[in-house]
Amino acid sequence: MSAFGLTPPLAARLAARAGLVLPTERHAAVAAVADHIHGVVAVLRELDFAGVPPAAAYRAVEEKETHDAAL
Amino acid sequence: MRPCEMSLAAAADAIRTRRLSPVELVDSVLQRIEEAEPHLGAYVTVVAEQARRAAGEAEHDVAHGRYRGPLHGIPMALKDLIDVGRMATTASSRVRAGHRAAADSTVAARLTAAGAVLLGKTHTHEFAFGLTTPQTRNAVDAGRVAGGSSGGSAVAVASGTATFALGTDTGGSIRVPAALNGVVGLKPTYGLVPRHGVTSLSWSLDHVGPITRKVEDAGLVLTALAGHDPRDPASLPVPAVDYRPGAATDLSGLRVGVPRSYYFDHVHPQVEAAVRHAVAQLESLGARLVDVDIPMTRYIQATQWGLMVPEAGAYHEGSLRTVPELYQEDVRILLEASELMSAGDYLRAQRSRTLMRAEWARMLEEVDVIAAPSVPMPAAVVGQETVTWPDGTVESVSDAYVRLCAPANITGLPALTVPVGHDTAGLPIGMQLLGRPLGEPTLLRVGHAYEQTQPARALARTA
Repeated sequence: MSAFGLTPPLAARLAARAGLVLPTERHAAVAAVADHIHGVVAVLRELDFAGVPPAAAYRAVEEKETHDAAL
Repeated sequence: MRPCEMSLAAAADAIRTRRLSPVELVDSVLQRIEEAEPHLGAYVTVVAEQARRAAGEAEHDVAHGRYRGPLHGIPMALKDLIDVGRMATTASSRVRAGHRAAADSTVAARLTAAGAVLLGKTHTHEFAFGLTTPQTRNAVDAGRVAGGSSGGSAVAVASGTATFALGTDTGGSIRVPAALNGVVGLKPTYGLVPRHGVTSLSWSLDHVGPITRKVEDAGLVLTALAGHDPRDPASLPVPAVDYRPGAATDLSGLRVGVPRSYYFDHVHPQVEAAVRHAVAQLESLGARLVDVDIPMTRYIQATQWGLMVPEAGAYHEGSLRTVPELYQEDVRILLEASELMSAGDYLRAQRSRTLMRAEWARMLEEVDVIAAPSVPMPAAVVGQETVTWPDGTVESVSDAYVRLCAPANITGLPALTVPVGHDTAGLPIGMQLLGRPLGEPTLLRVGHAYEQTQPARALARTA
């Protein structure tokens, strides 16, 4: 059991829910790394964001762009 | 001095005044590649014949009065995340086998337009997702890491196998290898240099910038790279600027912030001593030193990871499902784990970034630049995974190298690393100068002023 309760089977289920099927032999390692990342980013919950918006920004008026993706 | 040892500015001046031919310069650098590259592993691909042809054309143009400017005829390398039309962009990964770029990236096109001569593509830590670049050896000590992820570019410039190079920087990937190999690296303001045609690690943290042997050289390259391109949604509509710093070394009136917190915590004592000595040198040039407190230090790593990890996972979502076995293990496991992060994690990091940008802007009202170490320790031994600090704290080598660089990625502020000495083992040490948004002219002025007070640096020669 990890610090945040992310067991290898739970990691595998969460990955599968995201559409990523993990081979059985990778469950434990992915759980450990995901748990470590969770421990690092969880500290952000301490912040009082009030009405602060995310920094992801865009300009409402853009020049014509080209994208490779097929829409 | 062989032409391959010349700084960009010196070589450009010699070409402009017809004391040096681009052919002589490119031949000298290609000769240096033959000597050193087998020991360094900086390059993925070298396009020697193409470079010789381009040098011949440059020589012809210069001889016939068609001199394009200071990059004309200068041999350079591109990190292999940067598209050049009809060449592979391998990202130093098996995932990209068979790749062919359809067109030049904006930065490659701008360097070509400026007359620069492409030597080849340099190694990156796979997809820029790491800090060591294991394919490449440190230019000063082959038993040490090159740093990353732009390790190939930094080693090429340090060793004389490129006169300048481009790197990318998402959490220090220009500044870390530049500092560890004793060269100059500039992470520009977010959006100043367009990223169209450059493989992304993390859209909201990625930057492209120059790695050079002198600060002045970085200004010359930035002048060619900067400018709006609507194909990069972060690109800033800024006017053309000549970033070449002036010759003056007087820093009277300049306020240099010296961090009381964060940047000198868990730092190797010889790194701290070299940086503080360099800061004292800035003071002797007329700068006024001002103590500053770095804001929100507890949240820097969380914010960096909260942005980078999900964005990298999103970029690789498709290939992680189709060819996961082609990734190196260290990258694959991070991409897999990224799939378990929540939208809440990502949004908290974005909101933290909003707060952090505001706090840094307030701090930068009090000073013109901040001077600090670029990285907390010199180049690690190859294979070393952790560092233990005197208080018993254990930190991974990668975390240590990102730690002092991440604030400039999160906030988008410009940051320049300048060599300021060596440790007792001869390993290079870098000082980081951070400035206000679009404050590159100030950073380059300060870095150039400092550099002029120091003895000239020779090429790194382990090979």
